[in-house]
Amino acid sequence: MAWEADVLSVLKENSISLVVYLPDTALGGIIEAVEDDDWFTAVNVAREEEAIGVLSGGWLGHQRGALLVQSSGLANTLNAIGSLSKPARIPFLGLVSRRGDLGEFNLAQVPFGYNMPALLDTMGIRNHSLAETDTVARDVDMAAKSAFSTEEPYVVMLESTLIGAKDEY
Amino acid sequence: MNTDTPADQYECTARLLSITPDAAIVSNLGVASYVLAGVEDRARNFYQWGSMGSTTPIGLGLALALDDPVTVLDGDGSMVMSLGALATVADQNPPNLTVVVWDNGQYGTTGGQPSASRTVDFAAVARDVGLAATHVSTTDDFEAAYADAVASDEATVVVCDVEPVDPDERPPFDFAHIKWRFRDAVAPSE
Ligand SMILES: Cc1ncc(C[n+]2csc(CCOP(=O)(O)OP(=O)(O)O)c2C)c(N)n1
Repeated sequence: MAWEADVLSVLKENSISLVVYLPDTALGGIIEAVEDDDWFTAVNVAREEEAIGVLSGGWLGHQRGALLVQSSGLANTLNAIGSLSKPARIPFLGLVSRRGDLGEFNLAQVPFGYNMPALLDTMGIRNHSLAETDTVARDVDMAAKSAFSTEEPYVVMLESTLIGAKDEY
Repeated sequence: MNTDTPADQYECTARLLSITPDAAIVSNLGVASYVLAGVEDRARNFYQWGSMGSTTPIGLGLALALDDPVTVLDGDGSMVMSLGALATVADQNPPNLTVVVWDNGQYGTTGGQPSASRTVDFAAVARDVGLAATHVSTTDDFEAAYADAVASDEATVVVCDVEPVDPDERPPFDFAHIKWRFRDAVAPSE
């Protein structure tokens, strides 16, 4: 729970009280802690594209939000990010468990997961790979500050070296 | 009195604004936004120019963040794209949220092609996932149903059959400007 605890503190320190998610094993610790803590408003969406809407509504209502999804789920949000977050300049902090790279066993995770940073770059959505526990607090904090001060989304990819790869060989 | 079937989307939008003059309103891309801008371009309108299927989720996020009444003006085509969002709304059930679905039976903005609304009973779907919902087809019935929905202490869906329209009016094109104008106009909840 070490790096997850760092993420929770960073969310609070940055007044990020709205957490919109779709359940995921790697993000489970954070999601559970958020659901158990009344300081947060937690929204479990049916499909990740909704999350961009909920986070945008939150921002319009002066609430800062974070998106917690797997990279396949981020793929489900691309039109909403491109046609709402980006042109309206509505920020959120993305914390995305990235599949498809080191240790991936499942080809279905590769086209979007492996290529997600490139896809986000193409759309002009800044993103950063977080591969080790030491820098979690620092980097997530800087990503949050960058997102909300520039009023654009910022996505942090949590790599398999940090969250662990699924062992199904 | 306006008991013609289906209802008049302009007149319904005007009556909705007089019932909730201070509501934060999120309007679907295309016709819903054009009509709203034509009736009254106000700071508390958040129009969309894209993000089809996100209108109701935006309203949900707003309703969770604000104490003010929040009204969503969605379209039947967009609602059918994001039917699952109704389950998320039911799960959260914010009392200050009213979701209006303008059901003109078509993808009006893209030329009037028929939508799945012929076979989808939106109010029944909403009730099935646990939401309060009503279905009306005249302007007078809409006015009464909307007033009830706003007064109720749960999130409510009002499906209104409307005559298709092809508005000339447009909201401001500068998307970020709409956002800043809207944010300045609404106060965060305490
Ligand atoms: C994701 C996506 N798919 C398709 C479109 C094209 N499009 C724009 S408006 C619209 C129709 C919306 O229909 P409806 O929600 O019924 O509203 P109406 O236009 O009838 O008011 C479509 C298909 C789009 N902008 N985005």
